[in-house]
Amino acid sequence: MKFYKDHYDVIVVGGALAGLSSALMLADKGLDVLVLERHNLPGGIATSFVRGGIEIEASLHEMMSIGSKEHRLKVGKFFDDMGVDIDWLRVPEAYHASLPGLEVTLHPGFETFAKEVDAAVPGTYEKVLKVLNLCHTVFDSVNELSIHPMSKPQMLLKHEAFVKTAGYSTKEVLDTFDLPQKALDLLAPYWIYVGSGFSDLPFTIYSVLMADYVGYGSYIPRKFSHEMSLKMAERAEAMGVQIEYRQHVDKILVKDGKAYGVRTARGDEIHADYVICSAYPNSVYTHMIEPASEVPAKAIKMVNGRKLSLTAFSVILILDKTAEELGIKDYSVFRGTTMDTDACYEELKGLGPYHYITCICHNLANPDATPKGTCSYSITTLPRVDGWKTVTAEDYDKVKHQVANQLIEYMNEYLGFDLRDHVLECVIETPMTVAHYTGMWNGCIYGYSHSMDDHIVARLQTAEEEKFIEGLEFSGAHQISGDGMGPAVTNGRKAAKNVLDDIKKKEAAAK
Amino acid sequence: MKIKGFLKDVGGASRVTKRRLAAFANASAVPQTVDPIGDVSREWHPGALELVVTDIRTASPTAKTVRFERADGKKLPIFYPGQYISLAFNMDGRTVCRPYSISSAPYEARTDRPYAEITVRKSKGDGYISDYINDQLEVGTRVMGSMGLGQFYWEPLRDAKNVVALAGGVGITPFVSMAKEVAHGTLPIDLTILFGSVSSDDIILKDELAALEGEHVHVVHVLSGDEPDWKGERGFLSAELIKKYSKGDCSYFICGPQAMYRFLREEVAKLDVPARRVRFEVFGQAKDVTVFEGYPKELADKTFQLTVVRGIQRDVIPAKACESLVTACERAGIILLTDCRSGECGFCRTKVLSGEYFVSPEGDGRRAADKDFNYVHACSAYPLSDMTIKIPIV
Repeated sequence: MKFYKDHYDVIVVGGALAGLSSALMLADKGLDVLVLERHNLPGGIATSFVRGGIEIEASLHEMMSIGSKEHRLKVGKFFDDMGVDIDWLRVPEAYHASLPGLEVTLHPGFETFAKEVDAAVPGTYEKVLKVLNLCHTVFDSVNELSIHPMSKPQMLLKHEAFVKTAGYSTKEVLDTFDLPQKALDLLAPYWIYVGSGFSDLPFTIYSVLMADYVGYGSYIPRKFSHEMSLKMAERAEAMGVQIEYRQHVDKILVKDGKAYGVRTARGDEIHADYVICSAYPNSVYTHMIEPASEVPAKAIKMVNGRKLSLTAFSVILILDKTAEELGIKDYSVFRGTTMDTDACYEELKGLGPYHYITCICHNLANPDATPKGTCSYSITTLPRVDGWKTVTAEDYDKVKHQVANQLIEYMNEYLGFDLRDHVLECVIETPMTVAHYTGMWNGCIYGYSHSMDDHIVARLQTAEEEKFIEGLEFSGAHQISGDGMGPAVTNGRKAAKNVLDDIKKKEAAAK
Repeated sequence: MKIKGFLKDVGGASRVTKRRLAAFANASAVPQTVDPIGDVSREWHPGALELVVTDIRTASPTAKTVRFERADGKKLPIFYPGQYISLAFNMDGRTVCRPYSISSAPYEARTDRPYAEITVRKSKGDGYISDYINDQLEVGTRVMGSMGLGQFYWEPLRDAKNVVALAGGVGITPFVSMAKEVAHGTLPIDLTILFGSVSSDDIILKDELAALEGEHVHVVHVLSGDEPDWKGERGFLSAELIKKYSKGDCSYFICGPQAMYRFLREEVAKLDVPARRVRFEVFGQAKDVTVFEGYPKELADKTFQLTVVRGIQRDVIPAKACESLVTACERAGIILLTDCRSGECGFCRTKVLSGEYFVSPEGDGRRAADKDFNYVHACSAYPLSDMTIKIPIV
């Protein structure tokens, strides 16, 4: 029996958003692509599951970089261009911030947002709008420069704000605006989706996040993130991509510094000109390259020199009453005892108690997300992997429930009732759950920390020097654009572009 | 614009690039291979394990308890009492899977001589593997097994501390696991088991249950057969009987044959408890798909051609309209692994490339988008025409 062709142009390891984006883009250019996914469905954590007959979103809070039908942003446009037709629903608000002395609901749109901050902290409209406009300018530059690189002097002329803020942390830049603390607090909540505290978070990243999210709002697929993942996979297959599920890639085969294929846990050795890998470089360089002698010392130093970022802990509840009946008013709530992001980031090192959390009620963007008379409510914290590395298999269930109860009690205070009195179904997702379903290194979903030591601008500058094995590309949260479902797509496209560029280069050389 | 001064501002990009390269230069060149979070996930969910049958004993005149240990002698995965194991048997070179609730306790899987047990009743002639286990299985046989699976367990965030178990026949098995764990002091619930059997001389795991009774484990036998000398409860698990043994806020856990579920759905409705207090275990493969509403009975006797795609391989096999796509594959020697075999878990998620099919409406656990794109859970999907399906390579 023969399950695979003798040779593929590209093997994509991992059929989540990044891998599928690579596959779509390569198939679109006529390449012969094989995707190998360890789970029995596409999407990685961009998926859903069914409990007691109710479908439950596994991970997606909001999808950025989609934009409206009339004004698509880059990820939304990519889906359109590829013929991946997703039924997007607009998320009604940016977020509700529940912070000491502040209960404020903020909506997308730069001016709206600035007005709402001003209503809570009078006299701040002009300054907040200035911050958002700066973010917008940097965001536009990042998008343009990612397509049209240019020389440094040219960049300084055309992209002054981007160039001049690139060397600074978010704190350093925000400090120059002289905003009252409460206004700063309202500009901070969404920070958690990119990791590090403001004193170490590149302003470039903060800008992109704020401009995209606050400026243009966000979306969710009607049928959960599985709709997005499945439609990408279906489209890829329609374009000729071979996708095989439940195929775990054990080894990436390398000879004389060049990748030439993979071996699966089942024992199939499959050959290709290129391998695009979603596994963390940590796993690849320490476990997957065969022979191990093909791993250069520089690659090990690189992964050791980077810091794993955040993972996720979520309690997902299906409640036996509607959001309206329970008095749940906001799609997304950030609750914290402080908005000192450095302090929050420090707390995420441990195993709780966690005081900086996000809650999502999908029904408020998608009324039909759950059966009639019910609603979903998820409580999420995004801990660093450090604390969770100390949990043993024997302690795991105890720790999991301790943390879940702490998060529930923390939100009970806010909601004014005990969520546990209404639980129809519940799922607790932990870093171990992520590791189980996706195989991600140490259950990490955020790649490497965006930090001043691992700055996106620096990542772009040194990308070429970090290609240690010819024909091997990486895609996923651990790549240049970092974490999040939107960036996953961008990372996947980048990996595909690298392959396409390399093919062109070789074709040119052959002529 | 100005942040800190022109030169410092424009030098930002080179500054952060130097910082990044310095971080790499200063890093260790020793590979860091540990992944403790992944290790915990693999300890709980190691995938299919090679197991050896180490003991087979009588659980009642019609049932046997089979003990499995890992072939490598290691501990079995931690699981929640009430969960099941999916076993893959090698039947004359063909792989056939079946799920069984684990009747031993989680703590017994973690001792120095760790094991897991299932208890299986002999069928009335229609249970291929049940009868194989009862009549032919021998100590020393090797099988592959995945555990702990399923959602039928006490979850403290959701369920009441008082649990009333409604068991029918061999449906007692998950509750024996729970009772063992309660008696062991590691499951903090008060468990009352209402156990329906037909006759007093064929009560499954009767002695084990008796030994587990105590402060927090209560067993009430309910006989449906006609026995003049029986002093205990009689009849079926009626709402009246359930109420009699319920103390305050209770969660009801139900496991038994399909006929009992139809009866109990009505009885439980009379209890007037919130939906979240009632949990049914999935009951395995439908014995007779033709009884379901919407099934075209006129096709039941037909056999169709099923094209099975695995990678670039295509095989054509016969498939009976009254048997699931999984059964067709198993009969033809094509491996299509299942877990719950009830349509719920999605482990056997399969793409239908062409053809008509019927999906068993009980326990259809498919995702909404999957339905839109013709995915089925092959254990609960039945061919209604010639079909082509794509399944994972095993």
